[in-house]
Amino acid sequence: MELLGNIVIVIGLVFMAFGALGLYKFKDFYLRLLVLAKIDTVGAITFMVGIIIRHGFSFFSLKVLLIIVLFLILNPLTAHIIARAAYLSIEGIDEESDDGTGGR
Amino acid sequence: MFAVWILLAFMFLYIIRTVQGPTIWDRLLGMSLISVKVIILIVAYASFSNRGYLLDYALIYALFGFISLIFIAFFILDRTRGNK
Amino acid sequence: MIYVLLVFWIISGILAIQARKLIRIIVYLAIFSTISAVCFFVFGAPDVSMAEVAVSSFSTVFLIVCFEKYFTLVTEVTKDPPHKEKLSKRARKFILPACFTAAIALLFVYFLPDGTVNTYLRDLYLYRFRLDVGGENAATSIYLGYRVYDTLFEALMLLISVVSVAHMSWRAETDETDAHFAGVTKSDTVDVYTIRILCPAMLIFGVYLILNGHISPGGGFQGGVAIASFFICRYLIYDVYDVRFGKIMIFEKMTFATLIILAVLFVFLGVYIQLPQLRIPYLLAMNMLIAMKVAFGFIIIFYRYIAFERR
Repeated sequence: MELLGNIVIVIGLVFMAFGALGLYKFKDFYLRLLVLAKIDTVGAITFMVGIIIRHGFSFFSLKVLLIIVLFLILNPLTAHIIARAAYLSIEGIDEESDDGTGGR
Repeated sequence: MFAVWILLAFMFLYIIRTVQGPTIWDRLLGMSLISVKVIILIVAYASFSNRGYLLDYALIYALFGFISLIFIAFFILDRTRGNK
Repeated sequence: MIYVLLVFWIISGILAIQARKLIRIIVYLAIFSTISAVCFFVFGAPDVSMAEVAVSSFSTVFLIVCFEKYFTLVTEVTKDPPHKEKLSKRARKFILPACFTAAIALLFVYFLPDGTVNTYLRDLYLYRFRLDVGGENAATSIYLGYRVYDTLFEALMLLISVVSVAHMSWRAETDETDAHFAGVTKSDTVDVYTIRILCPAMLIFGVYLILNGHISPGGGFQGGVAIASFFICRYLIYDVYDVRFGKIMIFEKMTFATLIILAVLFVFLGVYIQLPQLRIPYLLAMNMLIAMKVAFGFIIIFYRYIAFERR
């Protein structure tokens, strides 16, 4: 059981490694947002499923399951909010406008 | 336990992305990725040290990190829209 | 592992110092507090770590609100001349690596001497806290039993800051104390419905933290911040929202008065020693009162920042 859990954890880490690779390979911001929206969610959930398999059926696994549910709600919502804000703010995308001295 | 080291290496990569990100949205992206990695790190730490009560931290980190992040996104959006 | 985290901590702190735009500083500070929370966590201070996360989230929210206000104020008044660069571009490139090496050298020096520290007081507290105060969490027994005077003064500091915020902020057109503002709907449907699902989770989690404060890590401050975050998220999801500042401020002051009376009655007058069966209810009541105080204070500060002195 522990070996299976370790294998699933390694699969999750491989997903996250692809995400970290894509963060440097993609040239566009919206492509980079894919890392947060999909790849990292999948990686995190796979990692936690591996931990659940390692621990078997217990109270610990129930708490990890709760964290997985929270992840499924929070992580795509964060990606959605960042993408929407970045899309709607035309000026904010170039960083000229946010110097603290107020010179616009 | 080796998983923790790989997670730390990912965190380092995300910090570099946050530093050199050309726009503010890249920095927000790196910040949210770092908070996700922190949550996974805590879950891994609680699993390897076999202490169940540490998982409450992962929950609270997720909720509070989310709040600060959505507020930053909303207020930058409001500012860039209002002064157009 | 702890060395790598400490190096990250130092890196993010240096980044927050040397960044030249305010919005970047806010983002770097958020990263800095997240990593510092993990450092506290690994060093074995879970309560401090949780409080750090709560403080970092709320300080980020307050900073971003203030930043937006400052920006609108400054653009109305004047346009600053671009200040001259003191350091050349080449010199600025070398600052970060230099700071990094200096930080690593500092860490090395810090971990080099392996001397033993006098742990007399820690041993005493760990040995006696179940007998003296009760409860399972040693940190709760310290801040509600041994160091209750400090806790009272921290509550007083929060009260003073709330009063000063309420005193400084004003509204030009009307001078009524209750704010009825139609919030701009910044969120779209997806955000609104998902945050509506999340808000009760925050409230339940805050209540869980408060009620389990003396058994598991957590406590009044963290639970109060979670409850306040529930009320702050309402700003995002409702269009029209009433805040009765006068009533909330009166409630806050009454909570503080009750806190002082309870602490004085139990700890200073010695009811604590005579009636051991009242210890757990005392811890619960103190945690609840602190949570109410923190939640009311943060709600007042946030909505004052949002609704007053704007535009």
